[in-house]
Amino acid sequence: MTVKDPQSLAEEREARFFGAMELKATDRVPFTGLGGDIVAAYGGISNAEYTFDYDLQRQATVKYLRDFPSDLPASGGAGIGNIFLSLAFLDFPDLSTSIAFTTGPYNDVLGVKFCRFPGRELPDNSSMQYLGGAYMEPKEYDELIADPVKFSYEKIVPRTSTNLENLSSPTALATMARLGIEMAKHRASSRALGKELAALGYPSVVRGLGWAPLDYIGDQLRDIPNLVLDLRRHPDKVKAAVEALMEPLLKMSLMYKDVGAKYIFIPLHLNEYLSPKLYNEFFWPTLKEIILKLFEAGLKSQVFFEGWQDPHLETILELPAGWGVAYFEKTDVRKAKKLLQGHTCIMGGIDVSDIISSTPAKLDQYVKELFAEMMPGGGFIFSPNIGYLPRETPIENVRAVYEAVEKYGKY
Amino acid sequence: MRKELLKNFVDMNEVEAVSIAKALVETDGGPVAVLETCKEAMEEVGRLFEAGEYFLSELIAAGDIFNQIMAFTLPKLQQGDVSSIGTMVLGTVQGDVHNIGKDIFKVMAEASGIHVIDIGIDVPHEKFVEAIKEHQPDIVGMCCLITLGVDSMKQTVEVIKEAGLRDGIKIIIGGGRVSEAVMEHVGADAWADDAARGVRLSKELLA
Repeated sequence: MTVKDPQSLAEEREARFFGAMELKATDRVPFTGLGGDIVAAYGGISNAEYTFDYDLQRQATVKYLRDFPSDLPASGGAGIGNIFLSLAFLDFPDLSTSIAFTTGPYNDVLGVKFCRFPGRELPDNSSMQYLGGAYMEPKEYDELIADPVKFSYEKIVPRTSTNLENLSSPTALATMARLGIEMAKHRASSRALGKELAALGYPSVVRGLGWAPLDYIGDQLRDIPNLVLDLRRHPDKVKAAVEALMEPLLKMSLMYKDVGAKYIFIPLHLNEYLSPKLYNEFFWPTLKEIILKLFEAGLKSQVFFEGWQDPHLETILELPAGWGVAYFEKTDVRKAKKLLQGHTCIMGGIDVSDIISSTPAKLDQYVKELFAEMMPGGGFIFSPNIGYLPRETPIENVRAVYEAVEKYGKY
Repeated sequence: MRKELLKNFVDMNEVEAVSIAKALVETDGGPVAVLETCKEAMEEVGRLFEAGEYFLSELIAAGDIFNQIMAFTLPKLQQGDVSSIGTMVLGTVQGDVHNIGKDIFKVMAEASGIHVIDIGIDVPHEKFVEAIKEHQPDIVGMCCLITLGVDSMKQTVEVIKEAGLRDGIKIIIGGGRVSEAVMEHVGADAWADDAARGVRLSKELLA
């Protein structure tokens, strides 16, 4: 077997991934790898160390990616997606695109009330978590509608970030300065990691972030249980709010183009909560518009359909062929393929819970059968249904999945 | 009025359902009638959910209507009016701080006649053991949302076994990450990835 030079290997991996996105069958099924807390565990460090010590994080990531090669570099958690900060600083693209994820160190500076990190609020080997909570009252919908960016900055930032409670205080000014210092450290660490990964033949693929307008209201403003009641109690306000949020959220995602993003990741949450009637009235129209506008601007979307998307599956066909990637959590990818073949790239295929609780032989057989159904015609990216393996995942199970991709994934 | 209450509750007409219940609760035998009708309505909502006609947002809305009505109905009930089909200790397992799924399940379980003792989120294994000793439940419900929860549930079951308490109780696991395979891995008796199924199976375990 010939050993490829890192650059050719990176080009090959990138072509495999983007080829599938273009609905093609390339040389092998692209595989995103299995990331999560397992990366820290395999590196012999705690989740807290992985989260807060950039050097240890880099060493663990490199060790894992050397031993478990995939087409994109899998990793432990990057941070917790927090759109309210990106939105609040929408007029400052360099800042806005850098704070979409609240990392552990960023959270030490900001004190975001709904983020929980290992080694801080949680034990050292717990996973970072997003809590939610209500930070806006129903009577404030009009303010949100009038100016979503101003509302995020003036109301939501002070309410959700302990150290930005009073925006004109020395604490707040010092916090923003400290955030800048932390960002510089983070960037330096990312560059160092990028260099090491390039030497291992990993492509550098920048991914932007996007949000469905209704999810922003549910996740970061009203909390999901309140929002689903708002849909019945204040339907007109909620509808006006999602419409008002569409332009700023689109602008936010488009900014990633300037920092080299090749596609936009849009994780959905409320899709599973809604009936087709509510989905089609409150959720889908503005999300669809954002995906279409991104597509027109040359950016594909990678939409993570959390939970069951089955009742809304056919709405994906309203998008133009080749619009992007539908990443499924619980919806059976085989079923999705029957409907979406030749129109949408499908991503997912293996349940994290199975990787945790199954055996190498069963996983091998599972991947074999899955690929036999999913490979014909191309347009399939293999990935765990949730990119987050816990520390306790048996490493022989992880290995079995990687080996099965090589064994059965070749076209 | 009972029929009207049932229809408006199941149809998610929040304002009408609450207002009818307020009127009904003041009549002779009203509190019991309201309680029974609301339980019936919740059961129907659960059935519609399992049939794919209702979704999570309807479960949340129904739970909210139920809680609103119970707030003024429960104080009017006499001891003996509320019968329980069993006791459940319920918590989100250690390491996981999520509560939405647990809370949706809890109100539906209570509406089905299960006496629920909610021991919270991020519950240490030992706290489950203490709660079992204290409350002598028929069934223990463990929830998790994140992947870490799978092994946390397994460890909790092991600690319950070590304490010699496993044989006397049933264990149901619930949440986004559970499946038949996870149930076997954890050593539980049933699993549910939605609240309606969870309540149905809990009732079966209690039968």
